[in-house]
Amino acid sequence: MSVILEIKNIDKHFGGIHVANHVSISVKKGEMSAIIGPNGAGKTTFFNLITGFIPSDDGTVIYEDQDITSEKPEKIVKLGMVRAFQVSSLFLEETVFDNVYLAALSNFRKNAKIFADRMAFKDAREHAGFILDKIGLSHCKDLKASELSHGDTKILDIAIALTLNPKILLLDEPTAGMAPDERIKMMHLLKELHEYFQLTTIFIEHDMDIVFGIAEIIRVLVQGQLIAEGPPDYIRQHETVIEAYLGKEVL
Amino acid sequence: MKKLKDYLPWVCYFVFFLGILIVDPGTHYIHLVARVIIFSLYAVAFNLLYGTTGLVSFGHALFYGIGAYITGMLVKATGPEFFLLFIVLGAAGAALVSVFIGLLTLRLTGIYFTMLTLAFAQLAWGLTFKLYHFTGGDDGIQAIAKPAMLAGSVTKYYLFCFIVVTICMYILWRIRRSPFGSVLNCIRQNPQRITFLGLNVYKNQLKAFVISAFFTGVAGGLYAGLDGSIHPDMLHWPTSGNAILMATIGGMGTFFGPVVGAGILTGLETIVGKYTEYWSFSIGVVVLIVVLLFPRGVLGIKRLAGNKN
Ligand SMILES: Nc1ncnc2c1ncn2[C@@H]1O[C@H](COP(=O)(O)OP(=O)(O)O)[C@@H](O)[C@H]1O
Ligand SMILES: [Mg+2]
Repeated sequence: MSVILEIKNIDKHFGGIHVANHVSISVKKGEMSAIIGPNGAGKTTFFNLITGFIPSDDGTVIYEDQDITSEKPEKIVKLGMVRAFQVSSLFLEETVFDNVYLAALSNFRKNAKIFADRMAFKDAREHAGFILDKIGLSHCKDLKASELSHGDTKILDIAIALTLNPKILLLDEPTAGMAPDERIKMMHLLKELHEYFQLTTIFIEHDMDIVFGIAEIIRVLVQGQLIAEGPPDYIRQHETVIEAYLGKEVL
Repeated sequence: MKKLKDYLPWVCYFVFFLGILIVDPGTHYIHLVARVIIFSLYAVAFNLLYGTTGLVSFGHALFYGIGAYITGMLVKATGPEFFLLFIVLGAAGAALVSVFIGLLTLRLTGIYFTMLTLAFAQLAWGLTFKLYHFTGGDDGIQAIAKPAMLAGSVTKYYLFCFIVVTICMYILWRIRRSPFGSVLNCIRQNPQRITFLGLNVYKNQLKAFVISAFFTGVAGGLYAGLDGSIHPDMLHWPTSGNAILMATIGGMGTFFGPVVGAGILTGLETIVGKYTEYWSFSIGVVVLIVVLLFPRGVLGIKRLAGNKN
């Protein structure tokens, strides 16, 4: 498998905190990987750095052999690296369908049309409908985003990301705040979407059942440092990881 | 059914502004409603930024004034034959200036954006006094002639304003309903997500800013012809404030809300202004009522009621 994303020595300070300490990661195409680590470890910041949302102090990000280190976030999205958020980032006054439809308009490059009726684009309409079907939100497509349950807002957030036709999907705690049964559903959904859309998926997650259930590679971030990286079996037995994060219960 | 609901405000718009001609309440009132029409365009153009994109400009008087002054000065310099062309040029001038101001102010957010737009407008207001030879300073520009076709009766100029404003409103209406309009409306709700849809927030805001300034300039140009006189007050901050008031009172969340706001503001100014020079006090009362009782503005009530059903 070829490398789709190569992060070399990415470094970031926030005042006195070293949130990314020369992190280097190489992600293979088609890989399903997890990033774990305690709160405040710098996981979300890591996503912010590689998506161009905040500038890094040092290091490079190579995506599909292209240096995207100082590209604008919207450009990186257009290139196919797309994210969903720890706190769902939606258009709350719009319907579920319109949330996804706007992403579809962007995907088909119809967003700048200034005189056409916004609903006039069949390809975008069908694409939005297809994604909602696939992700299981069709039944509430006419609800406002603000009326959704917490779990559904997380799913809608991912739906928006998927609509953009990503090659790499970055998910920041997709099960945050969910009940245990919802989490299991989310786990299956992530696996299904990953395979169906042939994605490269990187997800940040605290639920170890999910992490060890579906991740092929697990990376452990503690205080901005990548302390371990490898398949589940390797991470499970990694002394430093157990000490710093996992504790005894996973064993 | 949905379609019909979409066009209902348009029907009301035509019925009201053309109906007034049939009722024919006399030149005084036709003149008054002509002002309402012009302010309507001003308020609707402003609301593309304010209600839709979520940018509170406190400097729209600048674009209104530029439209008026360019139109007025061109008429003075060459004569009134090409009045319509001069209005377009005035609007283009407003749009051009707005590109520069937009580039500078849109990097800031929230109150800083608002304050900087105010600063630019006040600067221009001050300049009108300094550039006495072009602007007439304190006196403004008087006796701006209209072309023969529009001169003579108020009704002719009323119809002219109605046609120009209706065309502009239709364009703005289409823009609001376009994909671009959706993007603007969603920038207001969540700019971060817009970025992560792969869209540039700043560029879209700038486009909205320039479009808004252009149509604000058209309104200013039309105003120059209404009384045939313009005055530095058009560039002063209360004119900017009026845009915010009209949109807020009428309903910034609806397309036609600002039209209703323009009617209310003009009405208050005229009716209450007859009895007291402190007529703006009544506006304070109305704003208070609207903000407390109808937070979505007068036209927003219907939407609120609709949501509950
Ligand atoms: N924009 C920011 N400015 C300053 N400090 C920040 C910023 N974003 C995050 N931090 C700090 O960086 C550290 C890592 O945060 P974050 O990446 O959100 O951690 P995680 O997602 O692993 O819980 C925290 O101490 C947080 O307070
Ligand atoms: Mg986080």
